[in-house]
Amino acid sequence: MPDFPAITALPSTAPPREANPRAIGVGQLLSVERESAVFWSLRIRLIAASARRMAQIAQLRASLVVALSIMFWWALFFLFYSGFDLLAGMHENIVESLYNAFFASLMIMLLCSSAIIMYSSLYRSPEAALLLTMPARADRIFAYFFQEAIWFSSWGFLLLGSPMLVASGVVARAPWHYYALLLPFMLSFVFIPAAIGGIVCLLAVDRLGRIRRGAVRIAVAVLLVLVIWFGWSVISGAKSDLMTPRWFQELSERLRVVENRWLPSWWLSLGLLEAARRPDFQTIDYRPWAQSMMFLGLLISNALFWQLAARWLAGRVYRSSYSRLHSERAVHRRSKVRWLDRLILGRSAKPPSAIRVLMVKELRLFRRDPVQWSQFLIFFGLLALYFLNIRRFNYNSAYSAMIGFLNLAVVGLILSTFTTRFIFPMVSLEGRRFWILGLLPISRDQILYTKFAFAALSSLIPCCGLMALSDLMLDISTDILLVHQVSCAVLCLGLSATAVGLGAKMPELNEHSPSKIAAGFGGTLNLVISAIYIVVVVMLTAVPYHFRLVMSHSIGESWFGRMSIWLASPWAVAAGIGLTILVGATATIWPLRIGLEAFRELEP
Amino acid sequence: MIEFVSVSRNYGDKLAVAQLDLKIPSGELFALLGPNGAGKTTTIRMMVGLLQPTSGQVRICGHDVVTETRQANRHLGLVPDEPYLYDKLSGREFLSFVADIHGLDRNDAAARIDREIDQFELRPFVDDRTETYSHGMKQRLAFAAALLHEPAVLVVDEPMVGLDPRSIRLVKDLLKAKARSGMTIFMSTHSLSAVEEIADRIGILDHGQMKFLGTLAELRKLSVAEHTSLEHLYLHMTDGLPAERSASQATAP
Repeated sequence: MPDFPAITALPSTAPPREANPRAIGVGQLLSVERESAVFWSLRIRLIAASARRMAQIAQLRASLVVALSIMFWWALFFLFYSGFDLLAGMHENIVESLYNAFFASLMIMLLCSSAIIMYSSLYRSPEAALLLTMPARADRIFAYFFQEAIWFSSWGFLLLGSPMLVASGVVARAPWHYYALLLPFMLSFVFIPAAIGGIVCLLAVDRLGRIRRGAVRIAVAVLLVLVIWFGWSVISGAKSDLMTPRWFQELSERLRVVENRWLPSWWLSLGLLEAARRPDFQTIDYRPWAQSMMFLGLLISNALFWQLAARWLAGRVYRSSYSRLHSERAVHRRSKVRWLDRLILGRSAKPPSAIRVLMVKELRLFRRDPVQWSQFLIFFGLLALYFLNIRRFNYNSAYSAMIGFLNLAVVGLILSTFTTRFIFPMVSLEGRRFWILGLLPISRDQILYTKFAFAALSSLIPCCGLMALSDLMLDISTDILLVHQVSCAVLCLGLSATAVGLGAKMPELNEHSPSKIAAGFGGTLNLVISAIYIVVVVMLTAVPYHFRLVMSHSIGESWFGRMSIWLASPWAVAAGIGLTILVGATATIWPLRIGLEAFRELEP
Repeated sequence: MIEFVSVSRNYGDKLAVAQLDLKIPSGELFALLGPNGAGKTTTIRMMVGLLQPTSGQVRICGHDVVTETRQANRHLGLVPDEPYLYDKLSGREFLSFVADIHGLDRNDAAARIDREIDQFELRPFVDDRTETYSHGMKQRLAFAAALLHEPAVLVVDEPMVGLDPRSIRLVKDLLKAKARSGMTIFMSTHSLSAVEEIADRIGILDHGQMKFLGTLAELRKLSVAEHTSLEHLYLHMTDGLPAERSASQATAP
């Protein structure tokens, strides 16, 4: 028999005791100017704190990042300088088209990246939840996150664009004001796509709401159709010779689509090209300078307008859209055992081995993390498109081989960014759940070998597939195709082992963010070692083929000539492959051994 | 000071909070109890302006949290269950930012920061970066930040989780003292012993419905057995009491 009445009463009575009247708060609502100063002060404090930390404990990392950035900048500068120098003697008008294409594609990328960054900081970050509970204006919070989005989405543009524009100016012998105007032009330009990206983000969350999932499906379908159409147009198109007038004409026509006067990228292109033109003092023609300033004014006024528009919109919809997004009911997804899991686990009645079980666990984590597979898909998808596109041109066989080796280096470099971003942090991310692994009846060596096997297998299949595609498109002979496959496999194994080994040697068990782990000292070191390893492997196999190309020209009887003959011989090719395998074995075994020793001793 | 007028909140087709009518005056320490998924967090998120009600109105010191969000937030101090603190800032820098955003005068802010540092015994680590803090240290800093501008309303979500016994005592005494001084305190918790000790009034929320609202004594009156523990009352109210357990087993000694 229950000891309570069946229905509970709700005695919503008065408070239990007399409440003391209380003076309300001591603070006050801030003016727009004061609020702006407070948020700027927060931003400056955060930057100063990061700089202090960097100076105190991450000097090596900071020095490495600066040194690598400078090296990268100079390498790009010389690359662009050579390119513009070559074009200057052949087809000058193509520079304007290339500028337009470059800045238009950059504009789209900046728009997308800032929209994504704004979404994650405005709607998904705990910082936004903190700021929204404070008496701050919604548009001010938006502006605060907008600063961050501008930096994160555009530093790549500054690093990539500045050597290109400086090189272009040097080739064109641009006047001094061209260099002075570069930064204002670039900065005012990046504000426009970033602000539009912010608007797109706010509107998408506020308006699309329930149909967002459907909208994403439609966008993916449209993208898929475009990719298929592009692939078909490439495969079915006629081939043309590189660097011929017909090729330049065809390229100009293809790029015309981005030469629209309403596009900020066109204003930027024209503004920079005009600024680079030398005024003709004999005719007192200063118009190029004035034209350039007009375009700069146009960019600045649009940057201000779009930023104001974005803030105005944020003031109206940010809080309500935040509420709407967080009021959506979570979709409960039932996890399924996929065919690949079943394949790895096997069909035997006996329980599967620990390595297989761990492998399936890693696979499931990868599959259910869209950040991982979407980046994997985008980068390798873009590479596949590029490899399909190279079929359009005729090459002689020696050039084909060299382009093939360059493609091998590109595949390796992209893979190294993935191993740094996703494989290196794997051991660190076990930090909190390390006790689960510790309690399993398996050795720690098995855990690390599984991570290596997972990394190696998941990189071997797409990378070797991509290299095969590249070689088929380039009509490369079978012997070089095999060399490429061996080199690619060596790269995959070495890069995977380096990331797993270093990840175990230098774990950051208290850090939960994989991107922060990858950006730490260990991650940076992994990236640097990977880059050196890729260069060594590609050089060892590419050098003999390079000398075959040299041999096709007259080389004379000099010491260099005799050396070239030997380096182009099959012996040199065999030695190169042998050394590649040796380097690859060292790069696979050594880091794994270091990692295993550290992992056995690890005390989380 | 806190007023819910027929407030409902849906997540898709799921009703998280249904027709909530609640008025918490100045100086009251109100404890909201309820099982996981009962709607407690939703209620708090509506109060602090992170979620807007599907229908009804939430008012803080007379200000509607949807249409007058800044005015409402000005009177509010929040201590979330997992406080977000800028991990690259020191505790003092974080307090300074909170003082600035609440428009405190510089000299006044410095004095208040010092006072809160002493009150929550933050001095040994307040100049370290917050990323080095333990959960308890973070929680104490979050309390200091929430009380810096002397809000009329303090909202605390699971204030005792992760605190050591000394800190729990400190928090309980502080909440009682603040309520006595006229502050309205809204506390969501699973700690029934803390509720028994310090709460003036209790609300038990289950499946979005307020199953009980009143004092502990009023709750006990609903039971025929004398000296029934709050745990037993709560479990019965939220259908969480195992059927085989008898009332006599659950009564206090």
